[in-house]
Amino acid sequence: MKISYSWIKDFLDINLTIDEVAETLTMLGLEAEISTNFDELKEIIVGEIQAIKKHPNADRLNICKVFDGVNTLPVICGANNVSKGIKIAFSPVDSVLPGNFKIKEAKIRGEISKGMICSERELGISDEHDGIMILDENAICGQSLPDYFSTNNDLIILDITPNRADCFSHLGVARDLAAKLHLNLNEPDFSTLPKSSDISSMIEISMDNLKDCPRYVGGIIQNVKIKESPDWLKKKLESIGIRSINNLVDISNYVMMEMGQPTHFFDLDKIKNKKILVRRARDGEKITTLDEIERSVNSNVMLITDGESPIAVAGIMGGFDSAINENTKNVLIECAYFNPATIRKSSKTLNMITDASKRFERGVDYNAPVLAFWRIVHLIDELNCGEWIPDIMDTYPEKIETYEIVLKKKLINEIAGVNIPNDFVVKTLSSLGCRIYEKDDLTCSPPSWRPDLTRDIDLIEEVIRVYGYDNIKSSNNYTSIMNFDDFDPHHNLDKINSSLIGLGFYQVFNNSLQTKEEAYFYSNKKDLIEMKNPLSDKMTHLRYSLIHGLMQNIEHNVNNGIHDLMLFEHGNTFSYSDSKRLGIDEVQTLTGILHGNYQEKSVHNSKSKAFDYFILKGLIISFFKKIGIKDLHFIENEMDIKYFTYSYSIKYNNEMLGYMGLLSSDISKKFNFKFDDVYAFSIENLDNLFNIMNAPKLFKKIIPYPPIERDLNFVIDSDLTSGSIIDFILSKKFDFLINIVPVSIFKHSTLGLNKKALSLNLIFQSDSKTLEDKVVNPIIDGIIEVVSKKFNAKLR
Amino acid sequence: MDIKESIESVRRQFRSDSDPFPSDKDSLENLKIKFLGRKGLIANLFSQIPNLSNDQKPIAGKLLNHLKIELENSFPSDTESAFPLEEKIDRSLPGVTYPPGNKHPIQSTMDEIKRLFGQIGFAVAYGPEIDDDFHNFSALNFPKDHPARDMQDTFFTKEDLILRTHTSNVQVHLMEEKQPPLRYIVPGRVYRNESISFKSFCLFHQVEGIYIDKNVTFSDLKGTLEYFVKKMFGSKTKMRFRPSFFPFTEPSAEVDIWSEKNNQWLEILGSGMVDPQVFKAVNVDNNLWNGFAFGMGVERICMLQYEIDDIRLLYQNDVRFLEQF
Repeated sequence: MKISYSWIKDFLDINLTIDEVAETLTMLGLEAEISTNFDELKEIIVGEIQAIKKHPNADRLNICKVFDGVNTLPVICGANNVSKGIKIAFSPVDSVLPGNFKIKEAKIRGEISKGMICSERELGISDEHDGIMILDENAICGQSLPDYFSTNNDLIILDITPNRADCFSHLGVARDLAAKLHLNLNEPDFSTLPKSSDISSMIEISMDNLKDCPRYVGGIIQNVKIKESPDWLKKKLESIGIRSINNLVDISNYVMMEMGQPTHFFDLDKIKNKKILVRRARDGEKITTLDEIERSVNSNVMLITDGESPIAVAGIMGGFDSAINENTKNVLIECAYFNPATIRKSSKTLNMITDASKRFERGVDYNAPVLAFWRIVHLIDELNCGEWIPDIMDTYPEKIETYEIVLKKKLINEIAGVNIPNDFVVKTLSSLGCRIYEKDDLTCSPPSWRPDLTRDIDLIEEVIRVYGYDNIKSSNNYTSIMNFDDFDPHHNLDKINSSLIGLGFYQVFNNSLQTKEEAYFYSNKKDLIEMKNPLSDKMTHLRYSLIHGLMQNIEHNVNNGIHDLMLFEHGNTFSYSDSKRLGIDEVQTLTGILHGNYQEKSVHNSKSKAFDYFILKGLIISFFKKIGIKDLHFIENEMDIKYFTYSYSIKYNNEMLGYMGLLSSDISKKFNFKFDDVYAFSIENLDNLFNIMNAPKLFKKIIPYPPIERDLNFVIDSDLTSGSIIDFILSKKFDFLINIVPVSIFKHSTLGLNKKALSLNLIFQSDSKTLEDKVVNPIIDGIIEVVSKKFNAKLR
Repeated sequence: MDIKESIESVRRQFRSDSDPFPSDKDSLENLKIKFLGRKGLIANLFSQIPNLSNDQKPIAGKLLNHLKIELENSFPSDTESAFPLEEKIDRSLPGVTYPPGNKHPIQSTMDEIKRLFGQIGFAVAYGPEIDDDFHNFSALNFPKDHPARDMQDTFFTKEDLILRTHTSNVQVHLMEEKQPPLRYIVPGRVYRNESISFKSFCLFHQVEGIYIDKNVTFSDLKGTLEYFVKKMFGSKTKMRFRPSFFPFTEPSAEVDIWSEKNNQWLEILGSGMVDPQVFKAVNVDNNLWNGFAFGMGVERICMLQYEIDDIRLLYQNDVRFLEQF
C-alpha cells in the first residue's frame, strides 16, 4: 500500500524526516520502504511538456515538445495522461533506462522522436505503467531524477500484515504514529448534517442476509455536475499513483485512501426499480462490470441488485450499466459494511482483486460507512459537484455488538519480561481507540476499526509494539534443565556425511517432486503419492527413490564438461502404507552413484581407471567400516530390481541394509541421455543403520602374538566363486584361522578344461601364544582335505 | 672354431667387459647392445646355428639360450630405475589426485545452526513432511480461510494431506507427545507452491525452534535470538526486532540484520511468543506454561553466508558449485 507523507500530515502535526517516519512505522510493525536508491536513474532528467500535437499518422500517439532545461525537443508519446505544462521524467537520447535499455533517436511513422517520456515502471520505481509519471510542478527542468527525488520524496510503501486492515488508509497509519509519538490525531470532517428531507420514496434499501451485509448506508446527490477535479485533489491521488478520472470518482477514491472505507456511486436514474437489494447471485446470472467484462457469477458471489438484475458485484466492482458518466444527473451513494469472508470468497471466485475488495476482505470498520458518507457529502459540497438531498438511509437492522476484554496488568509484564508503566499502557490503548475502565485490572473495549483485537494477548501485543521492541532488554533465564532422551535422533548423519565425503563423494540436495514417469520408474509398481495441485507437470509425484535426482545431476554435470562423479544424497522418500500414520510411509534414504573415472590418466597413471563394481564394493566396505560396521555380506540378485543390470543386497547380521550394483542401461533410453556405466548404492532405511551405529562399542584387546600366513593354491572349476570357498572354509571354524584373502586367480589350458587356479592367503593367529609350524600344519592339512572333498579341488 | 668354444668365448668376453659393471646409463646401454643387440654377439652366434650339423643344432641352441638368459639376467630389468640418483626427480609434478568430495552448503549451514542452539540446550526433533491440516494449520491458529491454506500457496496430495509449509507442525507433535518444559529446534524440508525463480524454489529447509517453560518472556526470546544471530553472523552484526504478525505467535517479531553490502535490512527470522490458541489446541495449560517459537529458512541464511545469488544453484548440484564450500 502506497501512502504519501504529506497526506499523513493532514492528520498529524509531525515534523520528522521521511526516513525517520519510515523507521518509526517499521518499528511499529508497519514495514515501510522509501525508494532511496535512484543512482540507476542519474541520466534521466526532469522535463516539461511545453506543447502537444497529434501525430499526423497515428491516432494514439502525440508529439510532445519537451523542454530539457536547455533545448526543446520533439518526443513521441503514447500515454493518455500527457498534458501541456506538466513536468515529466525525460530519458534523453543515449541515456540508459533500468534493464540496460538505451534510448536512441528514432523515426516513428515518419516523425522524429528525440528521447522518451517515462512511466514509473520504465523507471523501475513501481509496476505502474498506466500512463507516464507526473512530477511535482515545481521541479526544475534539467535536474537529474535522483536529485529531484531527494528533494521531493514523499512516497512510503507499506507492507501491511493481514491483521491490520485499519492501516489501509492514511488515517489508520496516522493513528499508529500518533500513539507512538504521543501526538494528537486531527480527524477529517465527519460531522453529521441535519435531516430535512425524506428519500424513502426515491430509493428502497434491503439486504437478503444480514450476515453477508450487516450495514448499507445510502444517500442521494442531485443535479450532479461531472467535471475535472481541482488540482489539489488530482495531485493527492497522483502522489500515491492513482489517476484522476473525474470529480465524483476522485472523491470516492480519495475517501477510501483517506479513511479506508470503499464507497460506490450509482447513476440513480439507471436503477430500474428504485430499489437496492443485496443478495447472493443465482447460478447462471451474468453481470458486465465497469471494466466492460461480462462475468458469470454463482452463489459464492454477493451482488447489489435493483431487486431483480445485478447492478454491481458487492464490495468488488460496480456494474457497467449503472455506472455514472458525463450525462449523469442523480447519484446514489453506497457506503456499506460487508462480511470479510463473503467478499474473500467472491473475490476468489471471480479472480478479481480491487482496492475495494482488498479492504473489505480484511475487514473494514463497521461504523465507517456513516463517517464516509458524511465525508463524501462535505466534499461534494466543497467541490460544488452536486446537491445532497438532506437525508441518510442507514440500513443497519442488527447492530454489531461491542465487547469488553479484561486485561490483567500483571500479565503484560509477565509476557514482556520488563516492567511497562501502567500509565503508558492506558495511554497507548486509548490513543489506539480503545475505551478503558480501570479498576484492579483494565477492562478494554476495542474500537470498531480493530477487528483483530479480541483477546488480552492482542492488547498486550499492542502495548509492547508501541512500547518498542528495542526498549525491551534481552535476557536468557533458562530455568529448567532439559531431560532429553536423545539430543539429536539423527546425530549419526554427521558421521555418515563425513565418512562419504572423506571417501570422495559430494553431497547433493534434489527436488522431492518428480514426474509420474520418473517416480514410477523406480517404484516396483507400488502406488505413489500424487499432488492434487502440482506446480507443473514435471512435479506431480513425490519421489520413491533418490536415484533419479542423482541421474539428473550426472546429466547436468556431464553437459557442463564434468564427467567423473561421486555423488550422494540423503532425504525422505515416500509411498503409501496402511500401517503408517496417515497411511503414508516416509523413509529416510541414503543413495550414492559413481560415474566416469575413479582416476584420471596422468603423469603418474598411464591409463585412466573407470569406476567398476570392485571400486563400488570397496567404497561401500570402507564406508561401513568408517561408521563402525564390519562383516557385511553381499548376496547377488536377491532382490529383483528392474533398474539394475545386477545388484547385490548389503547385509549385516542377516539384516538387509540396502543394495548396490550396476544400473541398467534402460535408464539412458528412458530418460534420453547417454550415461556411462552408473554404479549405485542405496541404504533404504537410515533408522535401521542408526540403531546399529548406536549399539555400544567395546574395546577388544590387541593380540601381542604375530599372525602366521600360508598360501594355498587350489585348482577348481572355473565357475566356482572365491567367496563360496572362503565362506565355506570360515564356516568350518578351523582353529586360529582368522581370515582368508584371495591372492590370485590364474586360468590356463594346462590346468584342464573349465578349471582355474585360486590362490588363497590364510592368516592364523592365537591370542595366547606364537603359532609354530607344528601347530599350523595339521590345520592346513584339514583345510586342504575339506576343500578338496567339497569342491573337487586339487592343490596345484 | 667349435660353436661351443665360440659360446664360451663370448661368455668370457662378457665377464671381462662387465667387470667392473658399468656405472652410468650410456655404458650400460652400450654393453647391452654389444652382446644382446640386434646385431650383437649373441645374435651373431644364433645366426651360425643353421649351418651346423643336425646333431649339433639342439645342443648349441640350448647352450646359446642359457647364455642369453644369463646375460639378460645380468642387466637390471629397468634401466631407468637402475640409476635413480643420476636423474633428479621432478617433484614439481602434481600429486596423485583423489576425489575431493564435499558437504553441501545447505547441510553446512544446517549443522551450524544445530550446533549453535545445541550449545544453549536446545535438543533436535524431526517430524513428517506430509501432515494433516490440524498439525500444519489448525493447531497453529491459522483461520479456516487463511491464504496459506490456499491451493495457490500449499501443495496438497490427492487425499488432501499437506506437504508441510513449515516445520512448525513438529511443535504441535512435540506438545502433544511430551510434557513441558520443552526446548527443541526442528530442522527439515518444507514445501511452498511458488513458481521457481532465482529467489524462490518449490521447497526449502527450515529450522524452527520452540521453548516452553514457566515464566518465559519476550525478553528471553530476544536474548536467545541475539545469541544466535551474533554467533552465526558475527558479534558485530547490527540487528533489530520488528513487530510482525504470525497466526501462531503473539506478540510476533521479525528479526532483521543490517547488510553493509546491500545497504539495507534483511529479514532472517520470524519469531514470537506462542499464541494462547496454540496451547489450547494441544491441551497445554497456558496459565502454567508459556514460551516462544522462532523459524528461519536455511537456504536464506546459507545464501547470505556465502553470497549466493540464486537459490536454484543449491538444487542444481553442479560440481563447480559444490567444490567451493
